[in-house]
Amino acid sequence: MELEHSFTVPVPPEQAWQVLLDVERIAPCMPGATVDSVEGDVVKGRIKVKVGPVSLTYSGTAHFVERDDQSRTVTLEASGKEMRGSGTASATVRSSLQDEGGGQTRVIVHTTMSVTGRPAQFGRGVMAEVGGRIIERFAVNLAALLAGEGPPEAGTAATSSAAANSSAAANSSAAPVAAASGAAAAPAATGPAADGAVPLEELQLPVRAYNSLRRVGIHTVDDLSARTEAELLAIENLGPQSIREIKQRLAGLGRHLAEQRAPAAAAAAAGPNGAEARPQPAAAASGANGAPAAAPAPNGAGAPGATQPSGPGATQPSGPGAPRAARPPDEDAIDLLSVAGFPVLKRALPVIGAVVLLLLVIAGVRSRRRRG
Amino acid sequence: MIPAKFDYVRPSSLDEAVRALDEGGEDAKVIAGGQSLLPLLRLRLAYPELLVDVGSLGDLRGVWDEGETLLIGALTTHDDAIRDPLIAAHCALIAQAAGRVADPAVRHLATICGALAHADPAADMPAVVLALGGTMIAQGPGGERAIAAEDFFADYLTTALAANEILTGVRVPKLGPGWGYRYEKFHRTAQAWAIVGIAALARRSNGQVAEARIGMANMGPVPVRARAAEAAAAGADANADALRSAAQHADEGTQPPADLHGAADYRRHLARVLTARALAVASGA
Repeated sequence: MELEHSFTVPVPPEQAWQVLLDVERIAPCMPGATVDSVEGDVVKGRIKVKVGPVSLTYSGTAHFVERDDQSRTVTLEASGKEMRGSGTASATVRSSLQDEGGGQTRVIVHTTMSVTGRPAQFGRGVMAEVGGRIIERFAVNLAALLAGEGPPEAGTAATSSAAANSSAAANSSAAPVAAASGAAAAPAATGPAADGAVPLEELQLPVRAYNSLRRVGIHTVDDLSARTEAELLAIENLGPQSIREIKQRLAGLGRHLAEQRAPAAAAAAAGPNGAEARPQPAAAASGANGAPAAAPAPNGAGAPGATQPSGPGATQPSGPGAPRAARPPDEDAIDLLSVAGFPVLKRALPVIGAVVLLLLVIAGVRSRRRRG
Repeated sequence: MIPAKFDYVRPSSLDEAVRALDEGGEDAKVIAGGQSLLPLLRLRLAYPELLVDVGSLGDLRGVWDEGETLLIGALTTHDDAIRDPLIAAHCALIAQAAGRVADPAVRHLATICGALAHADPAADMPAVVLALGGTMIAQGPGGERAIAAEDFFADYLTTALAANEILTGVRVPKLGPGWGYRYEKFHRTAQAWAIVGIAALARRSNGQVAEARIGMANMGPVPVRARAAEAAAAGADANADALRSAAQHADEGTQPPADLHGAADYRRHLARVLTARALAVASGA
């Protein structure tokens, strides 16, 4: 899910920018957060979420993935694992500052958040909503922190609450933010809309296929159409049936999978979990404007790791101009296999029983023949 | 799954229970029927350190006639409510809605007040008590206090109850002559949570709806009243067409959730359709 908050603080942008870059000071703005350690730019910590009787604690890290001093935009990425369960939560928080003049700064906080695992299914999407509120509180705290930096006479009166006019803020911030991500990537990769980075959700794939693709770092239709059929088949949990489905959905958008690529690149890009250490050609293909074949990488090649959701090639899904995901990932259907656990074995029992019975009958028949 | 470790006490008096809860602090929980809490424990979504079982406080079970109102004790189960003669005579909406909660096994254990204190936005009882304008009775270390339904539901699974308070009962007004009622629930399977639930009450006089009260389940983080539809229905002719147009306002001002079972717009649509149906039955149109 995506959230947008904006507020104005009574300090000049230069001053607010310094605070915004200090992870150690930003992290405590997160309600329920405890900072365990700080090493350089990476903060390790925990966050406790309590909703009525439900309490969840996530532990993980937060660090900066992108920073642009020109446009004063910084992206903080936080991800954590449930301490007493298997769920995960992650958030990419992009904050940008705009000079409003007269020592006032407008802060725009754009958050992309996802929650997986049992908590995500619990209570029919409650966790997503609760996450939204946590981010809202974060924005309010951040406003207070930044305002606290201001001249004493400004006091707290000038702080403002998280603005409700999120859509308006989204529009106004679209230009600088897009420019920032474009600049970081390459001049060629311009605004998200022009780039046509359609999020994977648009394909409305079956959950299993969708999850498998996401797991190997395929987040957009471009990412997908840069892969060949053979590469997709090599992905865990993706069978011919899923591939057929994917091809159909792609065709619906007038797209298709990549043709067989050059042997060297194909060999490197295949493999079950291919995306992690994918070499440049593949990364470039996914970053470039949907070029199906592995074109030589002009610039996007420098992207560190194609899986990084906030990497230059992949910022678009969360970009303000990108079409809204038809189905946010936190609404995935419950994964029966991971929930069922042992009962899966139970389901196999009849089969095992039948096999044992068959063996017994065969043994019985044999011994009778021998006797006879 | 097996719940995480917790301490368990089963006090024999209300005072003792409040004291145990107070000493248990933030991580103590009251358990009555356990039909909401136990699944949470088993899924390991909740990790209370102490469970205070109020199951042996037998004098909290029952329904009492207080003149203008009925008092439903904390340990009254849904099944008790379905069979209770006082509820049937004066506040049958509760029995009707209780009959649509989950399945018989759950209804025999789950308490009405437990459902209220759990405050699941998709639960049926909170919307019903809200429509009725009920009052919650809470017992804490400092004594008893009454909380109006409007003020009781604070957020997802969160109520105005303090961590050391026990909900001991709910007081609901007796419906006078002329009042009709209907609980409409839309769900995928018989025992499922409501995708949207509508509790409607209507007082009919001279072929018109004189007054309507509508509570909606799962149309936001807390149960909400459909105020605009109530206003539109008041004074309308008690016929299906007039009530259908009044019901078009049912989703006004709501923020329904979007999840696997339906998008927000779908819920808005459901709220309008179900409100029209519920009002029609409640007003005898």
